[in-house]
Amino acid sequence: MAEFESPVLKEYPTGGGDLQLADMSATTKLLVRSDLEQFGVGFGASAHVGEALVCGSRPGEWLLMGEAGDCAGAADRVNTGGFTNVIDHTHSRALFRLTGARATSVLEKLCGLDWTDSMTPDGAVVSASVAKVNSDIIRNDTGIAGNATGGQPSYLIACDRSFGQYLFDVLMDAGTEFDLTVTS
Amino acid sequence: MSGSRLPPQPAEVIDRAAPVDFTWNGKPLSGFAGDTIASALVGNGVRIVSRSMKYHRPRGYMTADYWDPNGLVQVGDDPNVRSGHRLLTADMEVSAQNVWPSLEHDVKAASRLVGRFLTAGFYYKTFMRPQRLWPAYEKILATFAPGGRIDLETPHGYHDKRYAHPDVVVAGGGPAGMAAAVAAATAGASVMLVEHGHALGGHLLWGGADDRSLAAELRDAVDAAGVEVITNSTVTGRYEDNWVAIVQRSHPVAVERLIKARSKVLIAAPGLIERPYVFEGNDKPGVMLSGAVRRLINMYGVRPGESAVVFSANADGDAAADDLERAGIHVASLVDARRGETVVAARGPAKSVKTVELGDGSKVHADLLVTATGWTAPTSLMNMAGDRPVYNESAARFVSATRIDNVLACGGLAGDGSLDQLVAHAQATGRLAADRAAVVHHRIQSHTARARSVEGDEPPWPDDSREPLPLDPHPALFRSSTHGIVDFSEDVGSKDLVAAANEGYDSVELLKRFTTATMGPAQGKLETVNTVAVLAEARSETIAEVGTTVWRPPYAPITLGALGGRIFEPVRVSSIQPWHETNGAVPILAGAWIRPEHYGDAAAEVRNTRANVGITDVTPLGKLDLRGPDVPRLLSQLYTNKWMKLPIGSVRYGIMCAEDGVVLDDGVTGRLGEEHYLMTTTSSGAGTIWEWAENWLQTEHPEWQVHVTPVTTGFTSINVAGPNARELVGHLTDIDLDPAVFEYMRVRTGTVAGISNCFMWRIGFTGELSYELHVPSGHGLHVWEALLDAGTDLGVAAFGLEAQRIMRLEKGHFIVGQDTDGLTKAPTTGMDSLIKLDKPDFAGKPELVWAADADLPRIVAIQTANPREVPIEAAQIVRAGSNEILGRITSSRMSPTLKRSICLGQVPESLAVGGTELTVVMGDGRRIKARVMEHHAHFDPEGERLRG
Repeated sequence: MAEFESPVLKEYPTGGGDLQLADMSATTKLLVRSDLEQFGVGFGASAHVGEALVCGSRPGEWLLMGEAGDCAGAADRVNTGGFTNVIDHTHSRALFRLTGARATSVLEKLCGLDWTDSMTPDGAVVSASVAKVNSDIIRNDTGIAGNATGGQPSYLIACDRSFGQYLFDVLMDAGTEFDLTVTS
Repeated sequence: MSGSRLPPQPAEVIDRAAPVDFTWNGKPLSGFAGDTIASALVGNGVRIVSRSMKYHRPRGYMTADYWDPNGLVQVGDDPNVRSGHRLLTADMEVSAQNVWPSLEHDVKAASRLVGRFLTAGFYYKTFMRPQRLWPAYEKILATFAPGGRIDLETPHGYHDKRYAHPDVVVAGGGPAGMAAAVAAATAGASVMLVEHGHALGGHLLWGGADDRSLAAELRDAVDAAGVEVITNSTVTGRYEDNWVAIVQRSHPVAVERLIKARSKVLIAAPGLIERPYVFEGNDKPGVMLSGAVRRLINMYGVRPGESAVVFSANADGDAAADDLERAGIHVASLVDARRGETVVAARGPAKSVKTVELGDGSKVHADLLVTATGWTAPTSLMNMAGDRPVYNESAARFVSATRIDNVLACGGLAGDGSLDQLVAHAQATGRLAADRAAVVHHRIQSHTARARSVEGDEPPWPDDSREPLPLDPHPALFRSSTHGIVDFSEDVGSKDLVAAANEGYDSVELLKRFTTATMGPAQGKLETVNTVAVLAEARSETIAEVGTTVWRPPYAPITLGALGGRIFEPVRVSSIQPWHETNGAVPILAGAWIRPEHYGDAAAEVRNTRANVGITDVTPLGKLDLRGPDVPRLLSQLYTNKWMKLPIGSVRYGIMCAEDGVVLDDGVTGRLGEEHYLMTTTSSGAGTIWEWAENWLQTEHPEWQVHVTPVTTGFTSINVAGPNARELVGHLTDIDLDPAVFEYMRVRTGTVAGISNCFMWRIGFTGELSYELHVPSGHGLHVWEALLDAGTDLGVAAFGLEAQRIMRLEKGHFIVGQDTDGLTKAPTTGMDSLIKLDKPDFAGKPELVWAADADLPRIVAIQTANPREVPIEAAQIVRAGSNEILGRITSSRMSPTLKRSICLGQVPESLAVGGTELTVVMGDGRRIKARVMEHHAHFDPEGERLRG
């Protein structure tokens, strides 16, 4: 199989600074839609199921992210009673991770939500406009497999793949004043 | 110009070790780091800095701060810079605005000769008639327009935006604001402290040693409390639910940043603004307010004059006199308003004060007249929250009258008293704000799914138990026995106001709009109360009876750049976009999508596709993944045709209507599995149809089990079209393309160029043998390039949107939104066989049943008699020999295949018969003959190529 082509194709300054943006679009993403409760994860919350991250992205909808095998493992635990479907969203969504003490400052420039710890704690899941692009944002300080964050504030930002390059550009621009660099 | 620097002053904020060079009207001057432009100019002996707006009278600094109506200057290509506020930087090019040929000798000052004719309302009355001369008036008036120069070549600066959700925003960083912020933060609130000036401290900055000591102490407390401090920034507006707009001018990267703060409680602590006094000559250079004199001497170490008369009604005026004497400036007379003494006029040549005439008729020689006649409480933020201030006669100022739950006042806005009293009141305000913010926070957090869970019930709303501040008595001083300027920004005098009142503009809101008093750059901060007082005098009423105007946002003028902020214009691209860019595609913006319109020659792309094989990127086609046992019901509801028996592996075309029977969208849907379908929509209809489907599922048929999931960009969509399409695709896929098993309007799943989970549909918009490939987008570019590589010997070439549109027009396929409009009902499309009125129901059916016998227009193919004539799209079809409009051309092109003009158009049903002759009005007005075709298709009407 040919290598996964990311929606982000431009070159950016890389480095190991305190504030980092990573393109994680190749991460496997499965969308579970069900009229049953799944994984014990409610709307607006996320949790690790095995090595996969399960996000309650909308009422009756969960987004699974991680390595392909981990997601498949999590998907195997879906309660298939009721009306339930699992849809591969890997190619539909761009996914970025913004990590660092000033990550919140970057988001504050692009999104009108309250990012304080009490309102958006680690594990919180929201859908919001980021620079006018509908996005799912997951506060994930703990990281998912192969993507440790060192416990710093960290946000996974997922948007429609076609907006991926635009949103990555906007995030980089917003982060310029905080020395945002790209990391793999 | 003589230098006017004083020896170092105890409170000065300039760094005398850091000189800063700049120019003033082209002349090189020098100031110090920490200087404002104003202090640097005064420090260089400059006394005239501008000309007044209407009469071009010479003006000098009056307040020497942000609000100075005389201090607007041009800095480089930046017009209307507030020189009393903007800090001096190296190599600044500062110049006076709107003067010609020079500030010193301004020819426009001749307008003073006709000044008595330029009263309020002059423009309204004079330039109304004759109306035909307005263009000429406009040109002349434009030359007298105030303000600086705008250079259209100047690049747009970086204007940023930030959203914030502090518990408490404190507007004003004086002693009260700082004390309130510290108290709120200490009580556990997150606090944003916004200061208009460059440093925290307010009036303490130019006060005595005790004042400065208190300022330092409070600043340390602010730091220790973790308050976010934003200086050189203005809270410009308070809107619903405490949405607070803050313009930050101090950002290290952005020219300006608009902070949109959703504050749970707003504390208004803007302090008081010193009010000018109205008398003859009150706008002469050399007439200053006491605060200006104290700032210039104490903070910047500059000499505002040589010999002063101080007209004082309060302690600040007295302090100004003390500061002047301490600085070695002769105080020729201290005129004490508290003893009934007054000033009548400042006299002298136009550009300076020479003598001051007092109320007792005496005249005092002086070049500086300092007034300290009272204060205006800038209640703007309270007004914006619903407060309507009332006049307090004893204190001679308007004060807030309403207590607002989430907007609290402290400092001078709330009253007077000693510094200790003000600080104690502010601390109580800060604590109250924190407590109330905690209640709001609890409420929001407990109602937000993602938020950390909160314990306990919502606390009770804290009562306001603050001890009110006293209001000190103050002489009511607004206008002397002479007339003078009231609004220095707009050049409106007290005589103008009296005249306007006598004309009938005797409501303060009318007077304001008629005379423009209070509507200039100072936004009423200096002139509102005097305007009201002059009107009250003219009406022989009290100020309380007249009332005041309503202060609305913005608190201070705001730049368009700050309002615009960063411009976010999202664009969408397919995974093939890099190839398009490197292969000469001419982009076209279709909605948010950037698409290749063509690669240099659309006609050649058509010819190649018809002759060989072409590939085109159709990723923007809307794609909805449909799953569930009730998908056929949903499809039957959405489409006008029947869907209950679509076999697995088949694709069907359909039209969708809104409830009014108007065509909403069209497209094909394929059945991939027992309960799995893929729907395509038009590119522009993707979002609408998703919402349309969800609307039916969620509101009309929640019992149906269907999951609709948008997957538009989950798949890169490539249309392979042309006689060699089968052979090309066959090189790359494991799907059996034998037409006997993979017929027209069928769908298959398989591998293409090594990529699994691809969908392949045999459909065709171009009229050619076509395969539409839907490839997982992470491999879209790979498949595209594989097709090009594999098709080299087959003549493969990419074609763009324009070629696709030409080919669909040759084939006679209509486009929703192009050939239909907001009134086009389904029968107009000519797809009668797809409108199944015998179905139990579908969206739009009742309207279509009702309209079954109506004479609806029809979409028909049209050929012009002269094959070279291509009518413009939207060209009218008229009745021969008249101007009666019968229809219009909806699409038109020159066909590269047929080498003639081809069109689609809408005509009345009675004309939609093959062979009917039409008259088409060309863009240049000529009328040409055209003919209705037998079929929609100009090319291959039997569809042999399509089904080949």
